[in-house]
Amino acid sequence: MRSELLWVIVLCCASSLPHCMHVSDGIELDVAYQPEATPAEIRTDMGYRVRLERAFIAVGQVELVPCDSLASELWELIGPARARAHELSTPTSLGVPLVLDLMESAGTPIFAGTLRPPPGSYCGIRFTGMPADEDAEGLTDASLEMMRHSVLVAARIEDGVSGDAWPVTVGIWEVLPCELPFDEPFVFDRPVLESVAIAIDHTAWFDGIDFAAQDAGTVQRQMTDNIRSSLTALRSYGTSGL
Amino acid sequence: MLAALLLPAGIAREASACGTCSVGDPTLTIVGFEQPQANRVRTSATLRHRNDQLGEPGVDELTLSEQRMELAAAYSPIDRFTVSLMMPVVHRLVTAVNLAEADIWAPGDLELRLRGVVWRDRKFAPRHLVSLIGGLEFPTGSVETDAQGVALPLEFQAGTGSWDPIAGASYTMFFDPWSLYVSSIGIFPTRGTADTLTGISVRQTVLGQFQPWRFLGFQAGMEFRIDQPGYIGGVRDPDTGGHITYGTLGLIGLPHEKVLLHATAALPLIQRLDGNHREGFAITAGLVYEI
Repeated sequence: MRSELLWVIVLCCASSLPHCMHVSDGIELDVAYQPEATPAEIRTDMGYRVRLERAFIAVGQVELVPCDSLASELWELIGPARARAHELSTPTSLGVPLVLDLMESAGTPIFAGTLRPPPGSYCGIRFTGMPADEDAEGLTDASLEMMRHSVLVAARIEDGVSGDAWPVTVGIWEVLPCELPFDEPFVFDRPVLESVAIAIDHTAWFDGIDFAAQDAGTVQRQMTDNIRSSLTALRSYGTSGL
Repeated sequence: MLAALLLPAGIAREASACGTCSVGDPTLTIVGFEQPQANRVRTSATLRHRNDQLGEPGVDELTLSEQRMELAAAYSPIDRFTVSLMMPVVHRLVTAVNLAEADIWAPGDLELRLRGVVWRDRKFAPRHLVSLIGGLEFPTGSVETDAQGVALPLEFQAGTGSWDPIAGASYTMFFDPWSLYVSSIGIFPTRGTADTLTGISVRQTVLGQFQPWRFLGFQAGMEFRIDQPGYIGGVRDPDTGGHITYGTLGLIGLPHEKVLLHATAALPLIQRLDGNHREGFAITAGLVYEI
């Protein structure tokens, strides 16, 4: 009888054991957007003065690109671009749409989210600009047009020679996938916290454009190319402003 | 915990009578498979290890490594009836695709089982037993929560947090040195932690045993499990449901008249689990003490 009693006590003790949970972080990569500070006036390489009035860019997704899958990633790039409203987030991608108002940019990073990728080597990050959906972060009454545009710029252009000035509005509606290679791959093989910033230099968006001579279509094509080349991936951005 | 595991061995020093002899059959049986006999009391401590993988690889996959220690006691007040209690203590290591880990130690769900022999071919040393089984899993397991106090998914819990009735039947054949155990058990879960409704689970066990010596037996068998899909907040969890068949090999030994040791390895042979869900090799080892 003593043994039975002992076992009942053991069972009761087991059921009242304290519980504990210890959580340790894994591989984490903080992602931020870092637009240049917007100057009062931009001087282009063609001699024009650009006074920005509105400048928005809508981000649909950012995605880490593994080093060993460049061929398949390339295929996706040259394949038909598809606009997918509200992309899903995965350990290697952030699918939260965001509208960035570049007029408010002070050159500080804007936190986008944290990627939690599996171990591996990652050679770049893919930035996809696309029209925002209605619940995109940063979408305001002033930026409602971004539901139809990936990029929207309104500016006053002044010819540096003649002194003529006129307004220009450029809206890009197409999906803008941009592959941004890292200067050195991220190699993740153990839990670690790293960070990357997508720098946006919108002061270079107007370079190579002869506003007086080129038609609207040519201006838009040149600006699309400029936007792509104005994006760069920077490892280990500062934490100020986050 | 180690003390609890070794407790029956300590008590065994005081042992005097032979447990298997008292039921008129020398077959070595673990708790739950035995022949009921009035006033028979058995206790056990069992260690189990298993691995599980849930979710899409590289996306939302979780790798679970679980070790459980199950402390149990079974008592037969009469020749045809056994009541048993089992309390697990669970260790779970959950690893996400980015190598983040959650290491959990917690008591699991207490299980009560009742087993009644409804038919036997003879009263002393029966060769054929047919039993009905009923039971209940109590939500005694602790609930793990995140920093906001919201309950984590079941993968992070030591118990289901639900009241789960159990019903089934078993057939046992004793033909020294051979024996056979066949059972079919259904578990009928209710809504539990994190608004999760685990699906009904039906488990079939077929276990053959060859015992060439009084102190040692060899086991081989199959375990088949079929699960209904589970639901979280009314939405189907895609990585639940389906069926799996394990092949098992085991040893059972009697180092002391009142102490029985057993070990079993289970290898998944057929996996038809829904979604992204794979179960791995499982090992069980335990000790039974006959009071």
